[in-house]
Amino acid sequence: MTTLGPAERRRYSRHLALPEIGIEGQSRLKGARVLVVGAGGLGCPAALYLAAAGVGTLGLLDCDSVDESNLQRQILFGSQDVGAPKVDRARERLRQLNPEIRLVAHAVELCAANVGEIFSSYELIVDGSDRVATRYLVNDACVIYRKSLVSAAIYRFEGQAMSYAPDRGPCYRCLFPQPSEGVVPNCEQAGVLGVLPGVLGAIQATETIKLLLGIGDPLLGRLLTYDALSLSFHEFRIARRADCAVCGEHPSITRPQDPLGFCTVEEQRRVRRISAPELAEQLDRAVLTLIDVREPAEFAYGHLPGAINLPLAQIEQQGLTLPHEATTIFMCRSGVRSLKACALARRAGVREPLQLEGGLLAWKAMVEPSFHV
Amino acid sequence: MSSVHIASPLRDYTRGAATVAAEGSTVAELLADLERRYPGMRFRMIDEQQRIRPHIRIFVATREIRDLQQPVAPQEPVHLLCALSGG
Repeated sequence: MTTLGPAERRRYSRHLALPEIGIEGQSRLKGARVLVVGAGGLGCPAALYLAAAGVGTLGLLDCDSVDESNLQRQILFGSQDVGAPKVDRARERLRQLNPEIRLVAHAVELCAANVGEIFSSYELIVDGSDRVATRYLVNDACVIYRKSLVSAAIYRFEGQAMSYAPDRGPCYRCLFPQPSEGVVPNCEQAGVLGVLPGVLGAIQATETIKLLLGIGDPLLGRLLTYDALSLSFHEFRIARRADCAVCGEHPSITRPQDPLGFCTVEEQRRVRRISAPELAEQLDRAVLTLIDVREPAEFAYGHLPGAINLPLAQIEQQGLTLPHEATTIFMCRSGVRSLKACALARRAGVREPLQLEGGLLAWKAMVEPSFHV
Repeated sequence: MSSVHIASPLRDYTRGAATVAAEGSTVAELLADLERRYPGMRFRMIDEQQRIRPHIRIFVATREIRDLQQPVAPQEPVHLLCALSGG
């Protein structure tokens, strides 16, 4: 077993005083290897507490740089860090907090090709990613490579958390079987209370320590929800699905895979956007091809005049063929599906496609209040 | 009448309300009542094949619902959960 030196005994004295942790538990934490996926709202507080708690090897994975809009909730960073790679600054900050631990920075985007190698150095994964595709990739990889997983997600004032451990309960796919990319807006579009990920990230750090030490009752087979506005927690029992695609009796996913139509963060970042008022102006003046990527039933409920309905799933499966002369504008309900469609269109050679920023919800809010969406 | 807790991403339909009232002796009836009160909401949860969408979970009290014909007792709370993606 890993031993603790005098400085560590002083640093972790409040842990050592807890019978549930003590020297044995603290030594176990020192020997633990934990990866935090996403140095964002959730990853920052989770990493701070895990570093402070003395997790011996702490990895951080994120390919982004610090943006000014991150500072409202991503508490590893300060104003001086804007523009710098997140994992580098996070590592510096965590080293100041606890120089006794080993910190590993992974400045890469997680994908099917690298997840196996990266996860092989860790025993437990903390998922704080902000992309649906990454969330499923992390879950699948944890099931396939038999890693424990502490997962959380946030939206506006609401958060969810659950844990997974091999052979000890359902996985994230048992709860939500398939990715529904684009149906749920992310924090960039919908906003998020800055302190919300602090609560959920601290819960993730708590769960991580419990799972590593084998103490308490972790969130295995339980989904915890938190509503900051009502300050209420709810708990839901989740059963394992025999037909789960990854942890079920006859899994169809046996190795990590990128989802259909996978777009990198960089591809999505390169997408040019048009605001609802700008589109309203352009509609009267220019020749535009309007592509509405929502489902047919959503399209039937209300759409812009002249818009063509090409659901995102169809674009992902069949690709995209469009006349290149007219400016093409992609739209959906909130802007997530159209962002992906736009990135795929660029990849398919459509010249400078545009995405309606904030989707048709923004159109309704800023241009046409009577629009049905 | 049941008290229905609405996941944040669905609150655009309920004009921001986190909890609304709806009637029905089965989950299907309750969802139909919600649709009458908040048009468009049901489609966000149930697809054309009458299946619960994979990013939506419905709980009646603490029971997870996978069959829309399952009963809802009067006064039982219903929770409509939605997968969240923010981090």
